[in-house]
This record gives sequence, C-alpha cells and structure tokens, in this order.
Amino acid sequence: MSVQGIDFSTLTLRDALDLAILIEDEAQERYQEFAHQMELHHTPEAAAFFRFMASNEAKHGAQLSERRTQLFGAAPRTVTRAMLWDVEAPDYDRARAFMTPREAMQAALQSEQKAHAFFVAALPQVTDPEAKALFAELREEEVEHQELVTKELAKLPPEPAGSPDDFADEPTGQ
Amino acid sequence: MQTSVALEAKDYRSDLKPIWCPGCGDFGVVSALYRALANIGRPPHEIALVSGIGCSSRIPGYTTAYGFNSVHGRALPIAQGIKLANPDLLVLVAGGDGDGFSIGGGHVPHVIRRNIDLTYIVMDNQIYGLTKGQLSPTSPRGAHTVTSPDGSLEDPVNPLLYVLGYGAHFVAQSTPADMPGLTAVLEEAIRFPGFSFVNVQSPCVTFGQPEQQLKAHKAGMKSLASIGYDSSDRVRAMDLAQTYGKELYTGVFYRNPNPPPTYESLVRQRQRHLQAKALPRERILDLFVQH
Repeated sequence: MSVQGIDFSTLTLRDALDLAILIEDEAQERYQEFAHQMELHHTPEAAAFFRFMASNEAKHGAQLSERRTQLFGAAPRTVTRAMLWDVEAPDYDRARAFMTPREAMQAALQSEQKAHAFFVAALPQVTDPEAKALFAELREEEVEHQELVTKELAKLPPEPAGSPDDFADEPTGQ
Repeated sequence: MQTSVALEAKDYRSDLKPIWCPGCGDFGVVSALYRALANIGRPPHEIALVSGIGCSSRIPGYTTAYGFNSVHGRALPIAQGIKLANPDLLVLVAGGDGDGFSIGGGHVPHVIRRNIDLTYIVMDNQIYGLTKGQLSPTSPRGAHTVTSPDGSLEDPVNPLLYVLGYGAHFVAQSTPADMPGLTAVLEEAIRFPGFSFVNVQSPCVTFGQPEQQLKAHKAGMKSLASIGYDSSDRVRAMDLAQTYGKELYTGVFYRNPNPPPTYESLVRQRQRHLQAKALPRERILDLFVQH
C-alpha cells in the first residue's frame, strides 16, 4: 500500500494539497539520495539525471506549497509523511551502481506511472469537490511528467547490442 | 528518565550518507527504523544503537542515536553492558547474519536466556557482503560464491528456529519489500518489554543470489497477519520457522503474551534486596571476625 491512515472520503482540499506536497517532498528526497549514491559509486550520468528529477520534484512541491499558503496560510497539517510509502518516490531497489542513463530514466518513468496510478485509484474515493478537482489535476500532471521523462529517454542513443548480464561476473546478484 | 516527544523520521537520520551499494536492502531497513523510532517518540539521545562488523553494521553512523560500531560478533555483549549500566536507555543491536550467527553466535543464547530488554535486528542477506561475497551461516546449501565455486556443502543456520529454540519471547521476520510491514514489526519489537529479535531478509544486490533479491521477495512474501496467524503459540512458531529458506513469511512469529521480568529489572531487585541486608560500612569487617 502507498498510504496509511488516510480516509479519502473525508479528505478536504487542504489535506489533499498537503498530501500532494508531501508526495513531491518524498520523491525529491529519494532522487537526491539516488543522485548521491550514483556520485559515490562513479555513475555520473545517472546522478545528473536524478538531480534533474529532484529539482523537478522540488519545483512541483514549491508550486503546490505556494497554492496552499495562498488558500490556507499557516494552518496546521493533519496529513504527515508517516502516512506515505513511496507514492511517487522510486523504490530503493530501483537504483544500481553503474546503471545507465536509460535505466535511471526508466526508474523515473515507473515512478511517475506509480504516482498516476495512485491518483487514479484515490479519485473515486474522494468526495469533497475541490479535493476531487485537485486530484484530477494532479492525475493529469503525472501524465505530463511521464511525457517529460519519455522525451528524455528519446534523446538517448540506442542501447548497444547484448544484455548487461553478459558482462556480469558470476555469481553477482541482479 | 524516558521521554516521548513528537519527532519525525528525519530527526533520526544523521548527515552521514550511506555508502551501501545502490539497491541494497539495508536502505529500506534504516528507513523503516527511522520511522519506527519516530512512532515510538524516544529522542535520539535516549537511544543506543550497537553494531558489529559488516555492511549492515554501518547503520549506527546513519542515525542520530548514540552509535557504537563495535567489533565483529560482539555487539550483543556490549549492548547488554550498556543496558545494564543505564537501563533507561532504549538499546538496539544491528548486524548481519555472519556477525550474528557465525562469530557472534555464542552470545545469542545468553542474551536470550537473560531476557535483557533490547531489540536485535539482523539484516540477513545470506552472504558476507563487505568482504565481497563469501558463504555465510545462512547461505543456502549449494550456493555458489567466488570462494565456493562448487557450491556450499552445508545446511544453513535457521535464525528463527535458533532464537525460538533458545527461548526468545519475541521473534519476527520481515523484508524491505514490505516497508509498512517492516516498520510495524520493528516498532512492535522495540516496544516489546524484553529481548526481541527481528530477522530482516535484506538482500545484497552485488553478491547475493538472484532468487533472494527484493523482486523475488515481493512476489513470494506472505504476511502472517493476512492468514490469521496466532503468534502466542511457541510450538506453532517453531513449526513455521522451519519454512525459513523455502518460504518468506513476514510478521511476528512469536510473542509471549506474558513476558517474564527482564534481567535488568531482576538485577535492580537483587541490588535493593542486598542493600537492605547490607551491613553499615564500619561494620563490614565484622563478617570476617571469627567468634
């Protein structure tokens, strides 16, 4: 499950905005972690891409935060990070040392697809009209994010022939 | 004095960035640990995290708790000393399967039979990863490594049966493939009054066996909560523990519904009793006077 302790049927616009902000925060942090891991493990191209994704997530989060402040000022949050489980953040298992830019982008694409699926699943449960409209908007934005990553993928040169497993020393894990 | 405050997972995360291989299961374990500690609410300065040697034993450095990355296989005696010296501390022990069941195996029965209130988290990846892939006590029979090219001839240690057999009152297993479940199990183990053991199947992406990676865990794991399992029966738990290596059951295998007193509480009781009987200092020599 990607969230715990959230009743979508009682979600208000404020809660929905807070949830969306936290989803972006979680993803930004994870991409930053991945970027650092890639730098540490001599994988600079994937690191650069993950930094790009982290800055995108930060931008989305900032836009949502701005909106939240305009509507609700400094009203306290009832939704917390403890309720989220990698809604948009890529799973830790997606990172690998020496991963190619293509693999990094595929991990990001999968994360955007995951986020889209989250909003698709949550939308029917949301009853508040404003929260519902926000979730519909966020669902569409995830489609745009997928297109963004797909465009980056298209810029890459074609993959060399053969499987990466051909270069793996036995008995290393996948 | 124990305090409980509103803390978040990030309050337990140190500034030191892990050097584990990207994709390592231990990232999930430390992330779940941060969350579990935040749920419990003990501030970092009231927590001691002791480890041995290995990739997973780097974990104390990645938390803001008091950390002691000690020597290979010796985290348990050190943690016991810490707990006895300051019973108010929340004491956690972390390490790998080699650290815990090979060189450190001799300490396991004693921490269990004493029932010291600490939580032992073993990150079980069936390999010695830090030293680049040698068989460990939990490596399956037939496992191939660079130093065992013809495959292991030994049956693995079963960590769950091992600790259950020695009488542990809380035994659980989980995997980073189920982050909410892992967090819940860690939290329950830490809250348990007495020795608690959590075996985390935390794969090594670099030297581990392909069939033991998180993808396989996600496909094959079975939650004990989802099958209505009763964790109060030790015999049932030992029976289930025999599936180790064949099935991946996650959750609490055994939780004693009536845990006995902890060792440190008995020590304090004994100290009070002895102090009540003690002679005043100026009369101590009377004990040695022959009448």
